[in-house]
Amino acid sequence: MKILVAVKQVAALDEDFEIRADEKDVDEDFLLYDLNEWDDFSLEEAMKIKEAGTTEVEVVVVSVGPDRVDESLRKCLAKGADRAIRVWDDSIEGSDAIAIGRILAAIAKKEAPDMIFAGVQSSDQAYASTGISTAAYLNWPHAAVVADLQYQPGNKSAVVRRELEGGLLQEVEINCPAVLTIQLGINKPRYASLRGIKQAAAKPIEEVTLADIGLSGSDVGVGNSMSHVRRMYIPAKGRAEMIEGTIAEQAAKLIQIMNEFKGV
Amino acid sequence: MDNSKEITRVLFENFQPQAIHLFYAIGYLAIAVFIYGVYVQIRKYRRGKPDGSWTELFKRFVEMVKTMATHRTLVRRDKSAGRAHGLIFLGFVLLFIGTATITLEYDILEPLFGIKFWYGNFYLLFSLVLDLAGLGLIVGLIYMMYRRKWLHLPKLDYKRVDRQEGDPDFDRSQYRREDWAFLWSFILIGITGFILEATRLVWLNDRPAVWDYRMWSPVGALLAHIMQALGMTSESAGAFRPYLWWFHGLLSLTFIACIPYTKIKHIFTAAASLMFKDPLAGRRLPKVPDDQKTAGYKTITDLTWKNLLHLDACTKCGRCQEACPANAVGAPLSPRDVILSLREFANHALSAKELPKEAELDIHGKDVGQVFMETLWSCRTCLACVEICPVAVEHVPIIVQMRRNLVEAGEMEPLLEKTLQTIHKTGNSFGESKRKRANWTKELPFEIKDARAEPVDVLWFVGDYASFDPRNQKVTQSFAKLMHHAGVNFGLLFESELNAGNDVRRVGEEGLYELLASSNIGTLQACDFASIVTTDPHSFNTIRNEYPDFGGKFEIEHYTTLVKRLIETGQVKLKKKLDYRVTFHDPCHLGRYNKGFDAPREVIKLLGCELVEMGRNRDNSFCCGAGGGRIWIPDPVGIEKPSANRMKEAGQIEGLQVFVVSCPKDLTMFEDALKTSGFEGQFVVRELIELIDECIEYEVWEDSAVTA
Ligand code: SF4
Ligand code: SF4
Repeated sequence: MKILVAVKQVAALDEDFEIRADEKDVDEDFLLYDLNEWDDFSLEEAMKIKEAGTTEVEVVVVSVGPDRVDESLRKCLAKGADRAIRVWDDSIEGSDAIAIGRILAAIAKKEAPDMIFAGVQSSDQAYASTGISTAAYLNWPHAAVVADLQYQPGNKSAVVRRELEGGLLQEVEINCPAVLTIQLGINKPRYASLRGIKQAAAKPIEEVTLADIGLSGSDVGVGNSMSHVRRMYIPAKGRAEMIEGTIAEQAAKLIQIMNEFKGV
Repeated sequence: MDNSKEITRVLFENFQPQAIHLFYAIGYLAIAVFIYGVYVQIRKYRRGKPDGSWTELFKRFVEMVKTMATHRTLVRRDKSAGRAHGLIFLGFVLLFIGTATITLEYDILEPLFGIKFWYGNFYLLFSLVLDLAGLGLIVGLIYMMYRRKWLHLPKLDYKRVDRQEGDPDFDRSQYRREDWAFLWSFILIGITGFILEATRLVWLNDRPAVWDYRMWSPVGALLAHIMQALGMTSESAGAFRPYLWWFHGLLSLTFIACIPYTKIKHIFTAAASLMFKDPLAGRRLPKVPDDQKTAGYKTITDLTWKNLLHLDACTKCGRCQEACPANAVGAPLSPRDVILSLREFANHALSAKELPKEAELDIHGKDVGQVFMETLWSCRTCLACVEICPVAVEHVPIIVQMRRNLVEAGEMEPLLEKTLQTIHKTGNSFGESKRKRANWTKELPFEIKDARAEPVDVLWFVGDYASFDPRNQKVTQSFAKLMHHAGVNFGLLFESELNAGNDVRRVGEEGLYELLASSNIGTLQACDFASIVTTDPHSFNTIRNEYPDFGGKFEIEHYTTLVKRLIETGQVKLKKKLDYRVTFHDPCHLGRYNKGFDAPREVIKLLGCELVEMGRNRDNSFCCGAGGGRIWIPDPVGIEKPSANRMKEAGQIEGLQVFVVSCPKDLTMFEDALKTSGFEGQFVVRELIELIDECIEYEVWEDSAVTA
C-alpha cells in the first residue's frame, strides 16, 4: 500500500518586494520559501492512514522544483514520510499547472501508488488545478476540496466529503486509486521539530530527471504549456478617504468632493 | 572535674547476656534493613542517565558542608523554621557522633585493643554537650510541631493544584501522616532518652561517681530531681529502667532502619543534592547530545541520576510553590508537585528488581505520577523555585527537558507552534522581514555603525522586542542616543541578528535554538568587537551562559552596568535630577538568573529618584509572566495574570510615581497590566532608559560639541 503526496514549495512575499526586470515574477531576493500550507494537511492525512496501522503503508512525497525544494521535502520527511522524490530539469521552468500535472502523472505511473493526495491549491499561484490535471493524465477519478476522508488501505473505494459553497458538504464515494485534493482544516498537521528536520537530512531525497520518467524537454516548460504568464504587476491603488464629522459636515464634504471631481 | 575511670555511663549493667545478644541481633537487623534500603535507592539512581557532575568533588563537598553548617539556604525567607531545623540538625549530628563514639570504644577499640577513653573529663564534657544537643533537638521538634499544627502555612498544605478531588493521586494525606510519624518518633526518642538518663541517675544515686557529677547532664539531673520529688526511689527506678531502655533502644533502631524508606532519608539525599548542585541550573540548560535520537524526557529513565536524586531530596517544604508565579495565579502548576509526582513515579517504577516495560515508564499523561502537559506549559522558567529550594532541587531543567519531548510530539498551544514556525522562517518572533530589524534606526539623527563591516568597541545585540515592538523601539532609540552621545564606539548586526533563542530554548524547541544560537555565534565571530551590550535580559542570559556551550565565548553585559559606568566616569552627564518616588522590578533573567540586582538600583539612585522596594524584590522578584515562552501563549481567561498580581503589589506603595523596569518584555507586560489594574493614572511604567533619557539634554550637548 502506497500513498503519493504531491507537495509544492511556495513563495511568500517579503516586505517591500520588487518585481523582476522581465516583469513576469517577483524578484527572487524578496521571496521567502516554505511548504504550501495545504500540503501540510494532505501529508498529515496520509500520515494518519499510515499510523492507523492496519496494513503497511508507505508515504512518498514528490515535488517538482529546483534544489531549494529539498528543504521543504526534508520537513515532510521529518514529519514521517518514508521517501521523497524531487523532479527537476531546467527546461521545467515556466511550466503551468497542467504541465506539472503531466510530470506528476509520469511519476505516479512509475510509483504505482494506491492513492494520490495533493493540496487544493498552492498559496502562491492558486490555480487549484495541478492535482486535477494529474488525475486527468492518469485517467483516474478525482475529488477536489476534500474536507473529510474515510478510507481503509486496500479498499476499492473511499468516501470523501467535499466542501461546497455556502457551507454545504457533499458526500462522495470514489473508486480507488484516485486523486484527492485536500482542503485546509481536514486534520491538525503535526509540528516538525527542528531536530526532526535535521535528522531527516540523513534520509535521501531521490532526484529524478525527465528522462527517468519517460518525458523530455518537449513535454514541459513555457513553450509546452497551455498558458503562460505575460506580466506581473501591482495595480495602481484606488483612492479612498474616510469622511468624518457630523452628518451635516459629512454631507458638505461629500458635495465638495463631488464638485472637485466634476471640476466645478 | 575528675579524670577517674569510674566516671562514665553504665551501658549494659544488670542486663542478662541473652538480653544483650538479643539487642545486638536487633541492632544488626536494623542495619541490614537500612543497608538494603540504601542499596535499593542507589540501584534506582543508577537506572538514570549519566550526568557529568562528578567533577571538583572536593570543592563541592566543602560547599555542601558550608551550606549545611550555616543552614544558609534554610533560614532564607523562613527564619524560625530554619533555626528550628538548625537545632534539630545540630542535635541529631551531635547525638549521632556521641553514639558513634560509644560504639567506637565499646565495640571496637576496647575489645580489640583494650583502649578506653570514654570516662572522666572527656565523659563529663561529652555528657554536657549531648544533653544540650538533646535539648536543642526537642525544642526544635516542638517548634516544628507547633508550626505544622497551628501556623496553617499555605506552603505546608499538600492540596494539589494539578489534580481534581477524586483523582487517584489527589490525596496527599499519606504525606501528612508521615510528617507526624516522623516528628513524634523523633521527639519520643529524645524525650525517652532524657527520662532514661534521669532514671539512671535516680537508680544510681548512691554512687558518687554518678550522682556527684549529675550536673554535667543538667536536663537529666533536673528530671531526676523531679522524679525523686514525685517519690521515685532507687529501686523503682532500677525496675523501671529496663522497660524504658528497651523502648528507647527499639524506637531508635527502628528509626535507623526506616531512614532509606521514609522522608528521613533526606538526611542523605538532601546532602547529596546540595553537593551536586549546579550553580548554573536553569541558566544554562543541558545540551542534547548529537547522537541522541529523541530530545527531552519521555520516560522516567530518561532522567539523569542527578535528577532522580533531586527528586528524593525534596522535603516538601513548599518554598518553591510559595515563590512560583504560576502557582500564585492559580495555574495548575506547583513545582513541588512536579517533583513529588515524579518521585512517586520513580519509586514505583524503578524500585523493583526488574525494570517495567518501556510503556509503563512514560512520565507524560494523566495517570498516577504522570505530569500533565498543562502543568508543564504553565511554567514561566522564572527560576524562583530553583533559587529558593533549600536542598538544591533543580526543577527547571526537568520541566524544560519534559517540554522538549512535548515539542517533538507537537503537544503545544497552536499559537506557540505558529510562533516557533515564524521564528524558524523569519528569525524573529514578530514574523517581520529580516530587513526590517533595524528600521528603528531610520528615525535617528545619526548613523549607527554596521559591526559586520567595521570594527567597533561595543556590539549591541538588540533582541526581538527591542527591535520590533513599537513601544520598545522608542526605548531602543533612546539608548542609541545615549550611547552615541557618550561617545561609545558601537555597532549593530542589522538584519544578520536573529532571535537570541533564550525563550525558544526554554520552550523546549532545542533544534530551533541550536539553529539560532549557531547562526548568531557565527555572525558574532565574524565581527570585530571587544564586548557585547544588550538591553534585553533574555538575550543577555543565553549569550552569557549558554552560547559558550556552542563555542561562542563573548564578553557581554546588560546595559545597566554599562550605563552605571558611563555615568560614574562622567561620559554621560546628568543635567538634572529626578525626584520621583519609584519602585524597581527585577527582571528574572537579569536578577535571579544573573544576579544583576545592584546596577539598576544604583543608576536609579544616581538619577536622584527615591527607590521604594516592593515586598518581593531582588532574588524574590515576581515574574511578569512572560518567561519560558509564555509571552507567545495566551494566558487563560478568568485567572489573574502574574503581571496583574505584580501591579497590585506595586499599588500598595504609598505615593508611587514610576514602576521602573529594565527589560523590553517587562515594559510590554506591565504597561498592559497597568491598564486593567485600577492604578492607571496613579503611577506609570517606565523603562529605566527612559528615566535616564529625561536627565540628559542632548541638544545642548550637540551644540557644545559643535562649537568646541
Ligand atoms: S520556574 Fe517559575 S514558573 Fe516555573 S515552576 Fe519554577 S517558580 Fe514556577
Ligand atoms: S523542591 Fe525544594 S523548595 Fe520545593 S518543596 Fe521540595 S525541598 Fe522545598
